[in-house]
Amino acid sequence: MKILVIEDEKAVLDSILAYFTGEGNICEHAATYVAAAEKIALYSYDCILLDLGLPDGEGMQLLDMLKKMKKKDGVLIISARHSLDSKLAGLDLGADDYLVKPFHLSELKARVSAIVRRKNFDGDNIITYNEISIDVLAMTTTVNGKAIVLTRKEFDLLVYFLANKGKVVTKNAMAEHLWGDEMDISDDFDFIYTHVKNLRKKLLEAGSQDYLRSLYGIGYKFGGS
Amino acid sequence: MKLANKYNRVNLITSLVVLVITGVIYYIVIHFILTEKLDKDLAVEEDEIKQYVATYHKLPLASSYIDQQVYYKALTDTAPDVRLFHYTTYNNAKEHETEPGRSLITSVKVNGKRYEVTIIKSRVEAEDLVRIILLITIAVTVILLAALILINRFVLNRLWKPFYTILNQMKTYELAKMDDISQQQTNIDEFKELNDSANAMAARVRQDYKELKSFADNASHEMMTPLAIINSKLDSLLQTDSFTPEQGAILEDVYHGVGRLFRLNQSLLLLAKIENNLIPDVQDIDMQELLTNKIRQFQELFEKDGLSLVQELGPSHLRMSRYLADILLNNLFSNAIRHNHNGGTIEVFLHPNSLQLINTGKDIELDDKLFERFAKSTASEGMGLGLAITKQICALYGFVVSYQHKDQKHCFTVVFDPKI
Repeated sequence: MKILVIEDEKAVLDSILAYFTGEGNICEHAATYVAAAEKIALYSYDCILLDLGLPDGEGMQLLDMLKKMKKKDGVLIISARHSLDSKLAGLDLGADDYLVKPFHLSELKARVSAIVRRKNFDGDNIITYNEISIDVLAMTTTVNGKAIVLTRKEFDLLVYFLANKGKVVTKNAMAEHLWGDEMDISDDFDFIYTHVKNLRKKLLEAGSQDYLRSLYGIGYKFGGS
Repeated sequence: MKLANKYNRVNLITSLVVLVITGVIYYIVIHFILTEKLDKDLAVEEDEIKQYVATYHKLPLASSYIDQQVYYKALTDTAPDVRLFHYTTYNNAKEHETEPGRSLITSVKVNGKRYEVTIIKSRVEAEDLVRIILLITIAVTVILLAALILINRFVLNRLWKPFYTILNQMKTYELAKMDDISQQQTNIDEFKELNDSANAMAARVRQDYKELKSFADNASHEMMTPLAIINSKLDSLLQTDSFTPEQGAILEDVYHGVGRLFRLNQSLLLLAKIENNLIPDVQDIDMQELLTNKIRQFQELFEKDGLSLVQELGPSHLRMSRYLADILLNNLFSNAIRHNHNGGTIEVFLHPNSLQLINTGKDIELDDKLFERFAKSTASEGMGLGLAITKQICALYGFVVSYQHKDQKHCFTVVFDPKI
């Protein structure tokens, strides 16, 4: 997929680019409003990651611009502004999602994947990874063409893993993804383990390879080397 | 004691004392003057008798005039000559009354024989005059006192009204509301000055508060960017080469630290937002439904600690922000889980006008400070902001949240409408 990252904070930008590059993704970036406006006008992207607070302009205006140009680019707002107002305003102006800084890169990737999937209007709701195939609309999972029954949380986890395949995903990020970041839950995310264990067991029983690996006690990695 | 009362008291006592003293002096002086006059009249009478005796060589008749009686008494040779005034009684024959009188006893020599002459005049008129003067004085005193009291009660109260209005406004002054102390209509310089000073002070405090708040707000916001950098770099770091378990443990700790800092920051921002009533999406909330969802959401956490849940959810509808309703329940549940022990219980009761969460836990009664910011037990993993936020949300919508410790359980109750 083709992605434009509009972010003025170089350190964050670098991390996002590093995380997204690979798997045939094309990542471009813009650090200023002017540069971003130019890129948006010239090219089309599957998804635009938009930071609202740019040094030379208001990110919201870019949304306006996209709308006026009738562009179909997906937009994910990433902002340090954690206010309901700007969230609603952003979504009103046609943004597809809103992610508050600081975020986990894995969460960002999962959201971008979801937006791109929705934007691909050819009805491609199927995510495939080797023998595993998921229909995100029907919420069904098959391994080697054989359907398996997953709970809601296991299903969400699998989608999350597939969006971040080959990456280490922290338990922290998984917990926030599944339960929301406002839950103020304890630092002990071990209860994630149960869900991962069950998911892995079901996949293995259906004849899938063992893709899930626990790493350093921090998190998990799905697929990859 | 109010200033007006104090002033009144001094005023009244002084007036009373001054009036009484003047009254007494007045009485004494007038009494003295009138007695003087009577004595003069008596002396004139004495003169007349002496002249009569000198002319006719006999005593005039011991006649009774109005208001005057004269008596004679033969004196022995040895008795000394006297001439003295004194108070006595006067028998008013006409009115058959005994009146106060003034007498002059003197002696006169008629044909070589000495007589004692007693002239008595009635003092009744003088006494009447004195009495009338006294009465007038008392009446003036009473009227004056009454006037003072009335003035104090009505005029002073009206005079002080601007003061009390300003005072009341200062008492109910709320920084967060940013309202002014209204200008009072008064032409009294002191009150004008007070009004101006109060307003100036309010403006200054408001300015300071605004600056402080925007500082806290900006600081929290600005902190988000470095946090975002740390977080994203950690995620990036994790994707690089493999780590030893020791390094993994360190990384996990760093993640926890960043996570806590992030949640702390978020909570502070949220508190600021609730305080400023910046959360607009007030809507009808079906508490029963929300609570059922919330319990489902927390299911894993209950199971993790082996907590058993007792629930009794009746229908209840509220008008509040969905976002805040969510946070309110999150905080109450997190609290009930975090401070529970393994295998404990959580009881949830939802009534139309109240929500109650009862959890087992350490058997110590918590004090009222638990709703304050950063109030937390040392063993707690939390930040100590959860209940502060809960209280703030409740305050925003007029709910009342309270804590009781009973039957070795901790009970948190939110009453939605305390007036019912």
